[in-house]
Amino acid sequence: MNGKASPSVDEKMGTVKIKINKDAHITVNKEHCKDCITRPCLVVCTAENYQWDEKQEELIFNYEGCLECGACRIICPCDAITWSYPEGGYGVKYRFG
Amino acid sequence: MDKVTCIVVGAGPAGSACAFALAQKGIETVLFERGRVPGEKNVSSFVLYTSELKRLIPEFRKDLPVERTIVRTDQVQLEPNDAKALTSYNYRWIDDPLAFTAFRRKFDAWFAKKAVDEGVQLISGMKVSDLIKDGEQVIGVRVGAEELYADVVVGTDGFHSIVGEKSGLVQIWQPERCFLAAKEVLDLPSEIINERFQLTDGIGCEQGIYCYHMNDLDVFSATLYTNVDSVSLAVFARLDELQEKNIQLHEQLEMLKQHPYVDNLIKGASLREYQAHLLPDGGRINPKSLYGNGVLLCGEAGGITATVTGMGIPTCLLSGMMAAETIGDAVKNKDFSKHSLKNYLKYLDSTALLDMVHKSRKESDYYASTARSDGPREMETAADIYNQYWETNVKYLSKPSFSLLVELYSRIGQYRIPGFVRWPITALVKLFQIPARLVQVIKRRLRGRYYEWKS
Repeated sequence: MNGKASPSVDEKMGTVKIKINKDAHITVNKEHCKDCITRPCLVVCTAENYQWDEKQEELIFNYEGCLECGACRIICPCDAITWSYPEGGYGVKYRFG
Repeated sequence: MDKVTCIVVGAGPAGSACAFALAQKGIETVLFERGRVPGEKNVSSFVLYTSELKRLIPEFRKDLPVERTIVRTDQVQLEPNDAKALTSYNYRWIDDPLAFTAFRRKFDAWFAKKAVDEGVQLISGMKVSDLIKDGEQVIGVRVGAEELYADVVVGTDGFHSIVGEKSGLVQIWQPERCFLAAKEVLDLPSEIINERFQLTDGIGCEQGIYCYHMNDLDVFSATLYTNVDSVSLAVFARLDELQEKNIQLHEQLEMLKQHPYVDNLIKGASLREYQAHLLPDGGRINPKSLYGNGVLLCGEAGGITATVTGMGIPTCLLSGMMAAETIGDAVKNKDFSKHSLKNYLKYLDSTALLDMVHKSRKESDYYASTARSDGPREMETAADIYNQYWETNVKYLSKPSFSLLVELYSRIGQYRIPGFVRWPITALVKLFQIPARLVQVIKRRLRGRYYEWKS
């Protein structure tokens, strides 16, 4: 309303401490995504971890910046996303939850 | 082969409460936590009510890590170009606090430490990945390559419950039953907080914010509360609505921050931490999904939370305590089958927990349907709801009126039932409520007499 530049999600994610595990806790069956019409994961992810690559026609995601809400797991209409919590000790570390 | 009596999975409020109560009964308990320290995975978007904590740890105030004591509570209605606020200060809460603001990283660690002091063995930094079963009976958990056996496993592992799903008790949540929350903790010097919110040191403010017609999402809610030198601002929306209307929640949060009302309060603040969490919206319908052979579900894992009313932590805590009672009985009878653990429902019914969950569910259904079409509620209604939140909700241990019809009615709200069926039932319930209330009052009197006589 006052036209301030709002910080991007990337900047916001800079405030979150995450210990990255080399084994991904999210895997996506990208074949399913090609046929997916709505692709709600692009919308609901609060960390914008899912992007659609128009040229390659492929879903790009990174599990490293995950806030572990699991919204993608719930919303995925074609069961493409396999999601579990990261292994013990890894993943997001909130200091002021 | 290592074996203990009870394994509790997840050191949140429900897990720690359950483990604490079990240890008090002298039952050997192991508490697992996937974070390096309890609390680092958890996000709260509301204040911490201590009514139930008081039952478990009466002297909790000595070292409870809190930020501010809630004295000021606001109900705020925002529209794009106006704001209405109902502010209320309750000064008796200074001496007799009802709720605090707190950081979960500190609170959960404190609570788990209390359980450890009682004799619970806490294993943190380890994720329980699977259950070990002997036929139908759950007999232990798998943690990485290791196995640990137990008579009973309590699932307090939150929203995406591994224990719940692996035991087959619950399914993955449906999007229309989920609230997505995005939250920011914003740095603001405590003098400025005191000035802007009209507070003094140690005294805090909590605001429930309802936003109407701000964008395609006709109605959405937010909370704003004060910590010592920061404020927490969270927004919530239903997952299915976000999908339907193609709205990103963090944009919603930014939009709210630019509203003059919110902007005036948080002007100049810098971001300390960004958080997101998913919440179940008022419980799973089937109470049978709360217990199985050698397994119990508490807190968010079983859907025993009251998201809309903001009573998440005490409801989880209480359900953990009730699970501990159930296991106490089961240990005495040496029976850990489904049949024995069914007593959990009896214990839950001795409180008003399940009613509370249903109420929360109805509230959220209300937001989903009525509020959307009717537009902003009148402030009087908001005042009514406010009173319910702060006065009656915390006294929910005494069970409210309970007749078969009321029960039926409270459950009917969950289904989309045509008006011509619902209306006669509503009318009947209203009619029957009067004698039911009378019966309730008489019962309560009699019960009081009975206890007086007994003591």
